[in-house]
Amino acid sequence: MLKIYFELNGEPMYVEIKPGEMLLDLLRRLGMKSVKEGCRTGECGACTVLLDGKPVRSCLTFAAKIKGHRVTTLEGLGSPANPHPLQEAFLETGAVQCGFCTPGMILVAYDLLSRNPDPTPEEVREAITGNLCRCTGYVKIVEAVLLAAKRRREGVWR
Amino acid sequence: MGIKRFHYARDVEEALSLLAAYEGRGALLAGGVDLARGLAPEVEGLIDVTTAGLAGISADGGGLRVGATTTLEAIRRSQEAQGYLGGFLAKVMGHVATLPLRNMATLGGAVVSAHPWADIPTALVALGAEAVWQNEELTEKASVEELYRRPFRAIFRRALLTEVRFPAWDGAFAFEKVARNAGDIALINCACGLGLDGEGKIAWARVAIGATPHRAKRLTAVEDFLTDEAPSEELWAEAAHKMKTEVEVGDDMRASAEWRRSAAAAIVRRALDRAAKGVTGDA
Ligand SMILES: Cc1cc2nc3c(=O)[nH]c(=O)nc-3n(C[C@H](O)[C@H](O)[C@H](O)COP(=O)(O)OP(=O)(O)OC[C@H]3O[C@@H](n4cnc5c(N)ncnc54)[C@H](O)[C@@H]3O)c2cc1C
Ligand code: FES
Ligand code: FES
Repeated sequence: MLKIYFELNGEPMYVEIKPGEMLLDLLRRLGMKSVKEGCRTGECGACTVLLDGKPVRSCLTFAAKIKGHRVTTLEGLGSPANPHPLQEAFLETGAVQCGFCTPGMILVAYDLLSRNPDPTPEEVREAITGNLCRCTGYVKIVEAVLLAAKRRREGVWR
Repeated sequence: MGIKRFHYARDVEEALSLLAAYEGRGALLAGGVDLARGLAPEVEGLIDVTTAGLAGISADGGGLRVGATTTLEAIRRSQEAQGYLGGFLAKVMGHVATLPLRNMATLGGAVVSAHPWADIPTALVALGAEAVWQNEELTEKASVEELYRRPFRAIFRRALLTEVRFPAWDGAFAFEKVARNAGDIALINCACGLGLDGEGKIAWARVAIGATPHRAKRLTAVEDFLTDEAPSEELWAEAAHKMKTEVEVGDDMRASAEWRRSAAAAIVRRALDRAAKGVTGDA
């Protein structure tokens, strides 16, 4: 076993992990159920989290690697009682059906908007290239991200 | 067996000592994008080399030096890489996988994993990039092209790749990839470079093709064919024809040999045209 310190959604954490444990399993073990297991091969994007603010695949990240770093999951952006503007935009535009892809989609969108506050539809499509959705056909997801971007420019953000 | 220990290597020496001490039961870990997908059952110890201070990009004359643990996305966004050959290498990185994977995957991991279908080896072979590695006794270097002719998997069971050096070129390069969608791996890819002499003739040409489905290779017959000729649409068409007769292709689950032969000709023609326009400043 290995003890590591890291920051999870702004809270300090000190946990014991197995040396070969993956970040996906650690986060779910810690109750972060927004982090989904789709493929475990890096291809579907359902397990995406932010590591020091940058999207990574938690299924291919060894948990030991996050020692001393910052991890953000969807739980860190918003909750049902206090949804993040991106979550609201996804709900309003009908970009959520089964919801399995939604946490990963929102986190890559969050990263995109932090780098590019006024993306074109093409830039949104490019940003979500690595996140697969089996339900929506992507059109509504792109609409949702563009709506959130507009609100962000109007100052509705956190 | 499973992983029993995780080490954060503080420098190259520590990583190499640990690797030697494990006697084949340890593995160097960079981004983990490859390693985590197929960990050999005998591996007991992971040696993280991203903590060894190797990451970084610097301009080197007209060339570039990239530390082995630099992530693909860091290369894509770096000023230095954007200044090298009109941003050629940075643009190639944009064709590799997807952003979250590029935030993890490293250049060293890409050189060592050397998937036959990968894009980075094709670009590196075309560019004449040089790999620098260290084992417990010595530091060695060789062009990536030469490295792939050696038993490189055995080499990296006891050595650490520390850096990749990219030479200066007076000319331009272009990369082409055909895949089923933007995030997928290549069905075929190529990288071509051209330089012109004072009379506007081709002074040098570099043509590498990958995912054939074999690992990246240069086609010197096509390069020789182009040298000393004047660039033109007709010349690209003839070079494409030469490519068609020279390229070694094979079938796999993704594409047939015959499809690859035609596609190889088509993308080389396109890449040569783009490289020539880069040279003359049209693109
Ligand atoms: C879903 C997916 C899509 C992909 N798409 C593409 C694509 O479109 N184009 C493309 O070119 N590639 C693609 N790749 C391949 C990707 O570029 C490589 O897998 C990646 O660069 C490996 O880097 P890493 O740092 O994660 O290596 P790791 O997984 O950490 O290591 C890979 C291997 O290299 C060894 N190693 C790592 N660093 C060193 C070092 N410094 N010295 C010695 N040995 C070392 C490790 O021991 C291991 O054997 C894809 C991979 C995945 C999983
Ligand atoms: S579960 Fe990680 S990318 Fe699919
Ligand atoms: S909403 Fe079901 S996978 Fe995207």
